[in-house]
Amino acid sequence: MNKTDQQLAQQAKDAFDRSVDGLDAATLSRLNRARQAALAELEHPNRQWQRWMPATGVAAAVVLVMITFGGPGENNVISAPATDLDILLSEESIEMIEDLEFYSWLDTQEFEGNGDLG
Amino acid sequence: MTEDISVFAVSCTAKPTGGRTLQKERQLGEFLAEVERRALRIAEIGVRDRDEALDLVQDAMIKLTRNYASHDREEWTPLFYRILQNGIRDWHRRQAVRNRVMVWFQKAKPADNDCDVIAAAPDPAGRSPDEQLENAEAMQDMELAVHELPSRQREAFMLRTFEGLNVAGTAVAMGCSEGTVKTHYSRAVHTLRDKLGEHWQ
Repeated sequence: MNKTDQQLAQQAKDAFDRSVDGLDAATLSRLNRARQAALAELEHPNRQWQRWMPATGVAAAVVLVMITFGGPGENNVISAPATDLDILLSEESIEMIEDLEFYSWLDTQEFEGNGDLG
Repeated sequence: MTEDISVFAVSCTAKPTGGRTLQKERQLGEFLAEVERRALRIAEIGVRDRDEALDLVQDAMIKLTRNYASHDREEWTPLFYRILQNGIRDWHRRQAVRNRVMVWFQKAKPADNDCDVIAAAPDPAGRSPDEQLENAEAMQDMELAVHELPSRQREAFMLRTFEGLNVAGTAVAMGCSEGTVKTHYSRAVHTLRDKLGEHWQ
């Protein structure tokens, strides 16, 4: 690297350092908060798995619903497209679909209840 | 008395983990405080948005703490910048996808180049408005020129020049060989010299 390039790099560094020194108080405060949040990770290293709990709960509920309603048999609402259309077009069936959410929730509650007992 | 001392010594050495964690926390806190402002400006030049840059720096801090706190202090700087540069690259990828999708839903907004964060900042050095303006314009020119470099050249230039990493440290931070760092850095300097012209020489 020749002298001109070195000068350019030095000038760029000086300008950069001035901009770093000129950071406002609000930004410095936000950086401080970010640092404290990062350091809190060190104090609670096992908290990472807890972030997956909601996703795991939802996945468990979906699996439960699929097991309950997705198996072969007379009440198989998933694998019957013609029946799906009837369900979607008739008022009564819409209510039943809404009930599916309720049953899903109910299953989750039962699942969690069993977990507590176990 | 001797027994007391030995009991005290045992009680002190019985829980080495707690003391070590505190020491590590202090070291890490010092490291992050030392690096955070430059990291923010480097990220800001990379993404041209202070809020996004703050998020990227915080993510990098958390990932470093979570995954590399046990490493030696000397390893933290290149590791931290590697995480940050990966974050910036991911941000650009997401932005590119978002732009492709959004172009179907709305007209492109005109580029907002009026935001002058340097001019808005208070001047702790007490320089005159003219000097501040001159510095801000110089920084803005340089910032834009650095931002417009190809991403790998930009990374090499910022890590070598702004953060002061050596070639080996920059190679770790960029995840490439030292030869590649030298090539990218040299090309970056030449491009900047051509773009910035006589004002910067």
